[in-house]
Amino acid sequence: MSDQLSRRNLLKLLGAGVGLAVAGPTLAACAPSGSTESSGGLSDDGVKQFPFTTWAANEAVTKEPLAALISRYTGANGGTTIQTPSYPYNDYLNQLLLQVQGGQLKGAMQLDVAWLATLAATGKLADLGSVAAGQDYTDAALALGRVDGKQVGLPWTQAGIGLIGNQEILTRAGVSAPPRTVEEFEAALRAVKGLGGGIVPYAAMTKVDQLKDIIAWMWTFGSPVVDSGRIVVDDEGSVAALTWYKKLYDEKLIAADVNRVDARALMSQGKAAFYEDAISGRAAVTKSSTDSALGDKLRPLARPVRAAGDKPRHLAWGHVIAVVNAEGGAAAAQFAKTLTTDPAYSTEWFAKAGLPPTTRAGLAASDVQQNAFAAAFSREIAANSSAGPFWIHPQFSQMEKVLAEKVQAALIGRSSPKEALTEAREQMSALIK
Amino acid sequence: MTAAPPDATSTAPEAAPAPRRRRGRPPSWGAIVTVAVLGVFAFGPVYWVAVTAFTPTADVFRFPPRLFPERLTVENFSTLWDNPVLLRYLANSLIVSTLTALLTVVVSAYTAYSFAKFRYRGRRSLMYLVLASQMFPQALLLITLYLVFSQVGLLNSYLALILSFTTFTLPLCIWMLKGFFDTIPDELIEAAKVDGAGQGAIIHRILLPVSLPGLVATGLFAFIRGWNDFIFALTLAGPEKQTLPPGLVNTFLGEVETAWPALMAASLVVSLPVVIGFAVLQRYLVAGLTAGAVKG
Repeated sequence: MSDQLSRRNLLKLLGAGVGLAVAGPTLAACAPSGSTESSGGLSDDGVKQFPFTTWAANEAVTKEPLAALISRYTGANGGTTIQTPSYPYNDYLNQLLLQVQGGQLKGAMQLDVAWLATLAATGKLADLGSVAAGQDYTDAALALGRVDGKQVGLPWTQAGIGLIGNQEILTRAGVSAPPRTVEEFEAALRAVKGLGGGIVPYAAMTKVDQLKDIIAWMWTFGSPVVDSGRIVVDDEGSVAALTWYKKLYDEKLIAADVNRVDARALMSQGKAAFYEDAISGRAAVTKSSTDSALGDKLRPLARPVRAAGDKPRHLAWGHVIAVVNAEGGAAAAQFAKTLTTDPAYSTEWFAKAGLPPTTRAGLAASDVQQNAFAAAFSREIAANSSAGPFWIHPQFSQMEKVLAEKVQAALIGRSSPKEALTEAREQMSALIK
Repeated sequence: MTAAPPDATSTAPEAAPAPRRRRGRPPSWGAIVTVAVLGVFAFGPVYWVAVTAFTPTADVFRFPPRLFPERLTVENFSTLWDNPVLLRYLANSLIVSTLTALLTVVVSAYTAYSFAKFRYRGRRSLMYLVLASQMFPQALLLITLYLVFSQVGLLNSYLALILSFTTFTLPLCIWMLKGFFDTIPDELIEAAKVDGAGQGAIIHRILLPVSLPGLVATGLFAFIRGWNDFIFALTLAGPEKQTLPPGLVNTFLGEVETAWPALMAASLVVSLPVVIGFAVLQRYLVAGLTAGAVKG
């Protein structure tokens, strides 16, 4: 029996099929349950033709800049040919899992940092440790490409998901300085609510699909969320965070049924004072706004802390490039290294796509430093971002969904915060047994 | 000869015909409300697609949303012409859906004829076996098909899509056509046999021509299946052979931004050929779908 049709691979593919059947929420079912094992380093096989699988090749903002970067690279590296197959972002992980498992996918691939461990669990990703060695990546960025100590991804862009404030609304509400503590934040929200006019003080996530944002608040309230591999989402800190979140909900300082798309729409219409987003969300907000000056009013803010002196906490966000250990892998790894470390490439990527570099030199480039929003985002949010606590599990998507459903149950009063989070812990733990 | 005196009615100017009285009971308010609700349910999304397609991006996201747009624009349609890849998706969809419909009609017609007009050992079991294939989750079949197509080198081809779509349309189409063929009297076939017609002549010159509505209904059903499918087209077709559903999603739905107005404009335009096709063929569709429903 061929390698592709071995019993193990067949079972893995069937796992991926179940994931496709219930796409999204059960994303983790797509993944094999085996341990993470990268296939070792890459040796140059002389093959210069490889695909770069990326959703950026089809998105309006990134399509042309990426084509230009690839054209530049192939022009500078004679004989190299790069195709750019693309899949929709929401179906991307399932498609890649299926193709990697089926042996159909080669070359380099763009990945969301949250997906890297799931793909690495296939055992088909190349160890890029030797490629990353000696490069100028920031420590935080490099860590996002590492799974179980192995460098299976090269960081392409790295930031976080953090608070964005509308300075004009805050000024009108008398909030002159960014709130630094949870108490100051609450006071700011109440001041904004006092403005009336249907403004949502904080367009926080309250729909299940994005309620994982509460993890950053759980960290803020002192919970590790996962402690020594054990899920502790019902500890004192997490319960305090959810109790506080529910208080905001009950006092209508946050609104019901809001996800990221709704929050961006509210911000773009000047109907929200705060919301949370990645750095790339700014473009979506400003583009759909009738206020041409809205971009100048948006301010990235460090997440308020529980007590002065605490370190703000944010969920990481970013993209990495991984390489399949197959024909053309060495050439693909070289391309990934150039794209992520060469300032000529990373600066242009930032200028055209708005995505910050991951190297010290790239971040120090004048284009990045002179962009007030990007500089503030890097300083206030990205610098204090951490990988999601469940990303190491292929079932992370299911786990986050369970947590979100229980949090929502508490918000609408179906259960107490303690009960909801205890149920969440039990169900999440069962998923990774 | 004495003429009879004209009566009053004959001398009067010709009266307008009395308005025809409607027979039966007037429609009840309940019926009107039901039809209205169903109408909103059916056409509301279509209306919203059309309105969004003609609304400037900044207005689409206005809060609260407006049922009637204040400004209209055609700029969202410009993305269609700026994006030639959409034409490729459209061509792929037409090729795949048309060939799926043709293959389905051919295979299901012969199979249904066999089930309807012949009696042989294992016939009933075969019929239920065909139906049983509908019971499996399609995603599981997707994995099987993916493996098979991968082994025989059919991935990323039209044939992969046509074969997989046909796999899913055949059971229902076979049963639909069997129901249609059941309504054709056996005496017609016996008469043809008496006249010396062979099986080929019977099916091609007698059975199929009188079954045109059923064949059209079957073909349309298969066409719609191929036209609307997302996950199989995304998984089996590859970037070059992608059809409209995954193509549109890939083009307009991004990581952080969804170009809703452009997506709606594209959806509106690419729906037109299918809508026109349905308008032309809808009488066959209705006849074909209902023919086997009441067996006399």
